[in-house]
Amino acid sequence: MIENARSLNIAASLILLIGMLYILGPLYLTLATASQSYEFLLRNGLAWYPGDQFLNNAVRIFTETRIPIQMLNSLAVAFSLAIATCILSFLSAYAIVYFRIRWAGVAFALILATIMLPVDIRVITTYQVASNVFSPVNALLDVSGLNGLIAQVFGAPVQLELSVLNTHFGLIAPLAAHGTGTFLFRQFFRTLPGDLFKAARMDGAGPVRFMFDILLPLSRTSFAALFVLTFLSGWTQYLWPLVASSTPDMQTAVVGLARLLPDSDGEVPDFPMIMAGAVIVSLVPLLMIALLQRYLVQGLVLSEK
Amino acid sequence: MTSESTLFSNRWLPVLLVSPFMLLIVLFFYVPIFQAFYWSFFLEQPFGGGSMFVGFDNFARVLSDREFWQAGWRTIIFMVTASSLAVLIPLILAVAADRKIRLSLPARNVLVWPKGVAGASIGVVFAFVFNPFVGLLAPLNKAFPGIWAPGIDGTDAFITLIAAHVWSGIPFNFVILLAGLQSIPRTMHQAAAMDGAGPWRRIFDVQLPLIMPQLFLTLVLEFTESITSAFALIDTITHGGPGGATTLLVYKIYKDGFSGYDLSGASTQTAILMVFVILLTAAQFVFLGRRINYER
Repeated sequence: MIENARSLNIAASLILLIGMLYILGPLYLTLATASQSYEFLLRNGLAWYPGDQFLNNAVRIFTETRIPIQMLNSLAVAFSLAIATCILSFLSAYAIVYFRIRWAGVAFALILATIMLPVDIRVITTYQVASNVFSPVNALLDVSGLNGLIAQVFGAPVQLELSVLNTHFGLIAPLAAHGTGTFLFRQFFRTLPGDLFKAARMDGAGPVRFMFDILLPLSRTSFAALFVLTFLSGWTQYLWPLVASSTPDMQTAVVGLARLLPDSDGEVPDFPMIMAGAVIVSLVPLLMIALLQRYLVQGLVLSEK
Repeated sequence: MTSESTLFSNRWLPVLLVSPFMLLIVLFFYVPIFQAFYWSFFLEQPFGGGSMFVGFDNFARVLSDREFWQAGWRTIIFMVTASSLAVLIPLILAVAADRKIRLSLPARNVLVWPKGVAGASIGVVFAFVFNPFVGLLAPLNKAFPGIWAPGIDGTDAFITLIAAHVWSGIPFNFVILLAGLQSIPRTMHQAAAMDGAGPWRRIFDVQLPLIMPQLFLTLVLEFTESITSAFALIDTITHGGPGGATTLLVYKIYKDGFSGYDLSGASTQTAILMVFVILLTAAQFVFLGRRINYER
C-alpha cells in the first residue's frame, strides 16, 4: 500500500461482500429450496434454510425426467465442441501466422467476423441450412445452369439432401463456426519469439514437424484455456440446441431443465424438484470452474487481447 | 514476432490447414447470413412450397408492423440499461477487488462462478426467486398486495430480466476489467500519490483512464451479448409477456419463424437486426474507439 486508505478499503470490502451476496444468494436459495418438499414450499414459500429432501428430489429428476440422458447429450456436445474448436482453431491460426500466403489477412478477417453475429441472431436461416446441408450446392447448380444440363442428359436435375437436424453433429457444427479460438491462438503465436522459428528451420524442421514438435507442446496452456472456455459455452447454449433437436432424447440438459417449467401461470410449479434439476445440470460446469479456474480466467483474458 | 523472411513458403499446405474450418464457417455462418438477406426479398412458403420475388414488400410489411417497432424499441431499452449495468457493476467490483484486502481473493473466485450456470438455468432460478407467490418478494406482496407482479406488470418482468442478465454477465466483464487494472504499473500509482492524489482521486484520474481499452471492449461485446443472450432468459422467465412487454426482437424472430412459420418475415427481421448489430459495432469503433489512447 502506498498510504493508508482505510475508508476506501472498508468501502471496497463492503462492495465485494454485496457482490458475492448477489452471486451466491440465488445459488443458495436454489440449493435450499432443492432440499425441501413441495408441501413445504406451498406452506412456507421460499426456503431460507436447507431441508432433508434433496436426495428425494434428485431421485425424481433421475427417474421422472429425461435429464440423465440429456446430461449425456450435453457432455457429448460440450466435449466435442471444445475438441473441434481447439483443433480447427489451432490449424487455421497456424496457417495464417506461419505461412507466406497472400490471403492470410482476408482469411483472418472472414474468421473474425463470425464473432460479431452469434448463432442466436442467425438462427432462422442456420436452421434451414442444417435441415439440408447440401442446399448451397443445389442452389449453385441451379444458378450456374449446370442442373439444366444434367437434367437434359440424365433426365432429372441433381437435388442432394442431407439433414443434420436432431443429430449431435448438427448440434455442434453451427456453434463451432466461431472465430474466438483462431483469434486466441493467433495472438499466442505472435507472442512467441521469431528466433524459435529460425532455430527450428536451421535444424531442418519442416512445417509439419514444427507444428507437432514445437508449437503443439508450447500451446498447452492456450489449449487448456480454450477447451475450458468452449466446453462451458457448449454446455450452457440454449437457443440452438432448442431448435436443432426435435426429440427430448436429443435435447441438451439445459433445454430439458427449461422445459420443466410450465408454460402457463397457474398453480405453483414443483419448484423443489426443478431447483434440484438446476443444481444437477449446473454441477458439471461449476465443478469444472472450481477445478480449472486458472485456465478459465486465462482464456477469458486471452480471448480479449 | 515472425517477419516476412521467416515463414514457410508451401502453397497448398496452408490451404489444407484452413479449409476444414473455412468450410464450416461458410456453411454455417456465411450461407445463413446470405440466405437471410436473400429471403428478405422473397415470399417464402414454409416446407418448401416455392418462393416468389417480391422486392421490398417484406421490408414494407415488417416496417409497418407496430409490433416490430415495439420489439425493436424494447431491444434498445434492454440493450442500453442491461449492458450499461452489466459493465458498471463489474467495474465497481473490479476496482474493489484490485485493492489488497482480505476479501479480494475469495471474491475473485466466487465472481467467476456464473460462467458455469447457463442463461436458461439462471432463468429458471430467477423465475422462482422472483415468483410473486412463493419467491423472495412474496412477503412484500402479502403486506402490499400487487406491488410485485411480474406476471401482470411489464416493468417488474423487465427488471427481473435485467437482474438475471447482469448476474450472468459479471464473470467475463469482471475478469477483463480486473486484468486491465492489474496491468497498470505500480509506478503510476506511486507517481500520482507523490503528486498529492488521494486514493479516491486516483481511481478516477489514473485507473479509469488507463483501463479505457478494456472498458471499451466489454461495452462493445456486451451490446451484442445483451441482444442475443436475452433469449434464454425471456424463454424461461417471462415468455415474452406480460402482454408482450418483454418480447425483444430475438424472441419475436424466433416466434415468427418457428411458431408462426413466417419465414420471410423472420428473415427480414433477422436481416434488419444484423444490419443494426453491424452498424452498432462499427459506430462504436468509429466514435468511441478513436478517442481511446492505447499507449501506456
